[in-house]
Amino acid sequence: MPLPPRLRRHHAAALPALLAIFIAGCANADYPNSVFTRFTEFNRDIGYLFKLLIYLGTFVFIFVEGILLYTIFKFRRKSDSERPKHVHGNTTLEILWTAIPAVILAFIAVPTVRTIFKSQAVASADALQVEVIGHQWWWEFRYPQYQITTANEIYLPVGRKVNFKLTTQDVLHSFSIPQLGGKRDLITNHVNYLWFTPDSVGEGAWNGFCAEFCGTSHGNMHFRVFTVAPSNFEGWAANQQKMAAFGAVAPAAASVVPVSTPDGTARGSAVALPAATGIAAATPTVPVVTNPTHPAGTAVPATFVSFPYDKLGVHNIPQTPLPEGLTFNESLKGDPQRGLDFMTKQMGGGCVGCHMINGNPVMRGVIGPNLTHVASRTTLAGGIYPNDAKHLALWVKNARWMKPGVIMPTLGAGQYDPITKTYIPKTGLNDQQIADIVAYLQALK
Amino acid sequence: MAITATAPAYAPVESYVGESGLWSWLTTVDHKRIGTLYLFTSLFFFVVGGLEAGMLRWQLAGPNKHVLSAELYNQMFTMHGTTMIFLAIMPLSAAFFNYIIPLQIGARDVAFPRLNAFSYWVFLFGALFMNFSWLIGAAPNGGWFGYAPLTTMQFSQGLNIDFWVIGLQILGVSSLAAAFNFITTIINMRAPGMNLMRMPMFTWNAFVVQFLLVLAFPVITIALVFLQFDRFFGTNFYTIAAGADPLLWQHLFWIFGHPEVYILILPAFGLTSEIIPTFSRKPIFGYPVMAYATMLIAFLGFGVWAHHMFAVGMGPIGDTVFGVTTLLIAIPTGVKIFNWIFTMWGGSLQFTTAMKFAIGLVGLFTIGGISGVMHASPPADLQQTDTYFIVAHFHYVLFGGSMMGIFGGIYYYYPKMTGRLMSESLGSWNFWLTFIGMNLTFFPMHFSGLMGMPRRIYTYDSGQGWDGFNLASSIGTIVLMIGVALFLHNFFRSFRRGAIAGNDPWGAATLEWSIPSPPPEYNFESIPRVTSRSPLWDVKTPTLSAEVPHTSGGDQRVNVSFAGSHVGHTDSAPLTSEPRQRAESGMHIELPTGKSARELGIPMPNPSIKPLLCAGSMVIMFSGLLFIHKDNLPLALAVIIGGALSMTFSLYAWVLTPLEDAH
Repeated sequence: MPLPPRLRRHHAAALPALLAIFIAGCANADYPNSVFTRFTEFNRDIGYLFKLLIYLGTFVFIFVEGILLYTIFKFRRKSDSERPKHVHGNTTLEILWTAIPAVILAFIAVPTVRTIFKSQAVASADALQVEVIGHQWWWEFRYPQYQITTANEIYLPVGRKVNFKLTTQDVLHSFSIPQLGGKRDLITNHVNYLWFTPDSVGEGAWNGFCAEFCGTSHGNMHFRVFTVAPSNFEGWAANQQKMAAFGAVAPAAASVVPVSTPDGTARGSAVALPAATGIAAATPTVPVVTNPTHPAGTAVPATFVSFPYDKLGVHNIPQTPLPEGLTFNESLKGDPQRGLDFMTKQMGGGCVGCHMINGNPVMRGVIGPNLTHVASRTTLAGGIYPNDAKHLALWVKNARWMKPGVIMPTLGAGQYDPITKTYIPKTGLNDQQIADIVAYLQALK
Repeated sequence: MAITATAPAYAPVESYVGESGLWSWLTTVDHKRIGTLYLFTSLFFFVVGGLEAGMLRWQLAGPNKHVLSAELYNQMFTMHGTTMIFLAIMPLSAAFFNYIIPLQIGARDVAFPRLNAFSYWVFLFGALFMNFSWLIGAAPNGGWFGYAPLTTMQFSQGLNIDFWVIGLQILGVSSLAAAFNFITTIINMRAPGMNLMRMPMFTWNAFVVQFLLVLAFPVITIALVFLQFDRFFGTNFYTIAAGADPLLWQHLFWIFGHPEVYILILPAFGLTSEIIPTFSRKPIFGYPVMAYATMLIAFLGFGVWAHHMFAVGMGPIGDTVFGVTTLLIAIPTGVKIFNWIFTMWGGSLQFTTAMKFAIGLVGLFTIGGISGVMHASPPADLQQTDTYFIVAHFHYVLFGGSMMGIFGGIYYYYPKMTGRLMSESLGSWNFWLTFIGMNLTFFPMHFSGLMGMPRRIYTYDSGQGWDGFNLASSIGTIVLMIGVALFLHNFFRSFRRGAIAGNDPWGAATLEWSIPSPPPEYNFESIPRVTSRSPLWDVKTPTLSAEVPHTSGGDQRVNVSFAGSHVGHTDSAPLTSEPRQRAESGMHIELPTGKSARELGIPMPNPSIKPLLCAGSMVIMFSGLLFIHKDNLPLALAVIIGGALSMTFSLYAWVLTPLEDAH
C-alpha cells in the first residue's frame, strides 16, 4: 500500500540524521519487536504521531538543555565577591514560555485526537473476526466465522482487516503485538476491540506478549502471529476445521451445531459443562456455511497446514531453559493408539478434565487449550517452549516445574509438585505412558 | 574549597543539644528530632528498595537468568515500587517538611507536636509491618498498583496481598495526620510579616503537597477498604464472578495515584527552588508564577488520572479528554523549568554538591517531562504503556526528579541539621556517579521499551533485541549503587568529621539560616519579624534586596501583628540604605546561647510516650486481621479488640495530658 501523502511529505522533509538512523535501525532484524514498523495502518498512524513526538521532543530537549548548559557555563562564579543584580521576573518572558509550549502542544493534540477517533472507530463488518480470550497464562483464539478454536497462535491473511474481540476468563491481561499493532487490555466483564490490517507485510511470524501484569507467570504468557497469503490462510483454516486427525469418532450426521460458542458461554467452569459444547465435541464440523465470502466447496490448497518451521526467525523460537533435573527417557517409543486409549478409556492423566479434542467424545474439557490440532502449533505452554516430542513429554510429566504457577498438574510418577509441595505417587504416569500420550498428541496435525 | 572559605562566618560555639538517650527519642515531640527520625528511617528503606532494585536488575541482566524465581521476582518488584514510593520518597519528603517548615516560617514547632510524633510512629510501624512479610515468605506480589481482580481472594489466596492492603491503610493514616498538621502549621504559625506571598518556595511546595495528600489519600483509602472488605469479609466490590467491574479499582487507584506523583515530586521541586537561588545569589525568578504553577500542577493533577488507563478501552471521548488535560499539565511544569534556568541566568553560580543535584533535577526531569508528553498522546501511548519506555519515563521523574532534589536537599540542609558540612569532594563523586549511573540505568530502558519489552516480566529470551539494553541498565545500576554508597559514607562520616557550618554556610535568604546549627529546641529565641521575601539577605546584603517591596513589620494585608503590640503598615520608604532600621524591624541573626528553653522561659511541649503507644496499638489492631486468613478467628478478634482497647486508652491518656507545663 502506498504511504499516505502526509506521511510521505513528512518523510521527505529534512530530518535530524541521527533520529532517522535510529528509527531505521529499530526496524531491522536486530530488533524483532520494535514498534516502529509500517506493516499495518495502525502502526503507520502511530508511527506518524511518534515521529512528531520524537522530533518535537528532541527539539525541546536540545533547546532546554542547551540553555541550561549555556547558563551553567556562562554564569559560573568567577570571584567570591560577585553580587549579581537581583531580577525578580520578566512578564514578557514568562508569558512567552507559557504560550510557546501551549502552541507546541496544540500541534500534538490535533493529530492525536484525529488518530484516536480513527483507530477506535467500529471495524468494518467484512473484517476477519478473532476472539481473544485471556487465561492465566495462555491465550485462547477463536475464529467464529470459521468455527475454529486454537491457542497461542494466530493466523492472519495478508491484506484483510482483522478485528480482535478481547475478553478474559480470569484476571486482566493485555494483548500486544508490537510489530503489528497494540495494545489493548483484556478486562474482566468487559469486551474490548482492536483492529488493524496487515496490508504491507509478507508472510512472517510475529511475537505477541501479555503486557498487563497477571500473576506468577505473567512473563511466560506469549503468543505468535503468522501473517500468511490468503490462500494459505484458507488451507490452514480448512485443516483446523477438521475433526482430530487421529482417532476421531465417525460423524453423527443429524446434529449440526457450532463447535465453539462465539458468545463465550462455553467458557464456564469445569463442572458445569454447557450441553452445547458437549454435543459439539462429539459432532463433526461439516464446513458450516455461515460466511458468504468463504462458501463451502471453495477449493483450498490442503498443503498448507501450519507455518513452516524453517521460516521462523530465531526470535520466534522459544529458548526457555528446561529445569535442571527434569528428564525423560527419550529412547521410549510411543504408540498413538495406546496413548489415545489410555487417555480416553482409562482417563489416564486426567487430561479429559480440562482439554477438548474435537471428534473425541471424551475429550471435552474447557479449562485448558483445545488440543484438536495441537501438533500443528509451533510452541507449547503459552509460547515458552518449542512444540516437539521432548518438550511435550516433559510438559506432561511436570508442567508446574516448567512454568511457575500453572493449573496443569504435575503428572509424572515420583515428580515433585511445586504448588502442592508433594511428590506424585507411583500411580502417576510413567515415562512409557507419557511417550504414548505424546505420540497421540503429535498425531493431531 | 570555596565552600569552606565562606563557611565559618560565625565562631563555632557548642549549641544546646538537649537530652539524649533512647527514651528521649521515643518520647520526643520536637519537630527537628522527628524530622531526623524520618530521615534515618526513610534512608534505611531507600537502601532496602535499592537492594530490591539490584536484585531485579541482576535477574534481568541477561536472558533467561535464574537469580530469582517468577514468584520472588513479582514480590521483589512489588516491594521495590511500594517501598520507594511509600517508605522512601514520601517519608524523605516528610523529613524535610518536619525539619524545615517550622524553621522557614519562623515557628517554634508544628501546630500539633504530639500528632506529629504519632505520624512518624505510625509510618515506622506500618513500614515494619509491610516488610515483616518478607520474613514469612509472603511479601506482596500484586504490583504497587494492586489491580483487581488479581488481588482478590480468588486469585491471591496467600497473606501477600493482605500485608499490602493493611500496610497501605496504616501508612495512609500517617500521611493524613501529618498533612493536617502541616496545613494548620503553615496557615497559623508563620512569623509576623510572612504573608503567603513571602513564604519560601519550599514551604509553598510543601503546603500544596499537604492539600494533595488530604484530597488524594481518602480515595485510595476507599479503594483499599473495598478490597479489605472483599478479602476479609466476603463483599463483592471486585468479585468478578458477581459481576464486578475491575475498572472501579483502576479509576479509584489512579485518582489517588496520579496526584501521588506530584506528592512525590513537588517537595523536590521545593528544595530545588531553595538551592538554586542561594547558589546563584539571586532570588527565584518569577516567584508568584512559581507559586501559581505549583498550585496549577496540583489542580490539574486531579484531572489526568485516566491517562494511566488508555489501553483499557475507555472509548474515544475519554481518551481525548484525558489526553488533552495531560498535555496541559506540561505547561506549568515547563514554566517551572524555565524559571529555574532564568534564576541562574545572570547569577553567580557556585557548584556545590547541593547545586549540582538541583541542576541535575532540572536537566533530568526535563527528559521525564518530554517522555511524559509522548504518552499523553493516547494512540502513541498504546505502543508505550506497560513497556520499559514507561519504566524509563517515571524513573526520570522519580529518580531524576524526586531523588536528585532530595539528595540536593540533604546536602543543603545537612549543616543546619547537624552543624557540620558534608564533604564536597566526596559529594562531587557522589553526584557524578549517581548522575552517570542513573542515566546508564534508565536511558536504555527507553529503547528496550520501544523495542517491545513488556514491563514486569521476570525473564526474556535472547534474540528479542533487548539483551544489550538490559545489560547496560544492569551495569548502570551498579554505578548508581556505588554513588549511593558514597552518599551514605559521606552522610555518616560528616557527623563527626565535617567542617563546622555556623548559622549560614551558604549565604541563603530564608529564616532557617538565621539561627544556630543545629537549631536549639525552641528554634528562635525571639520570633523574627519578616519584612520581605528574603529576610536574611536584608540583613546581610541589604543593597541586593533593596528593590523588593518591604514592610516595617507585622502583616500588611490583614493589619494585625503577632505580639499584639505592633500593627504593621506598608513602609513608604523601603529599606534602601540603612541596615540599622531593618534590624529594628525585627529581623535578626541569633547566635548560640547554650541555654535550654526552660532557662530562657520559652514554653515548649513536653515529651510524651503516648503517641508511640497509640500508633503501636493501632498497628496491632490492624494486624489482627491477618489471623482471619489463618483461620483463627478467636485470635484475630483478641488481637483486634486488644489493639483497639490499647489504642483507646493511650489516646485517652494522650488527650488528658496537657501539652505544656503550666507556666
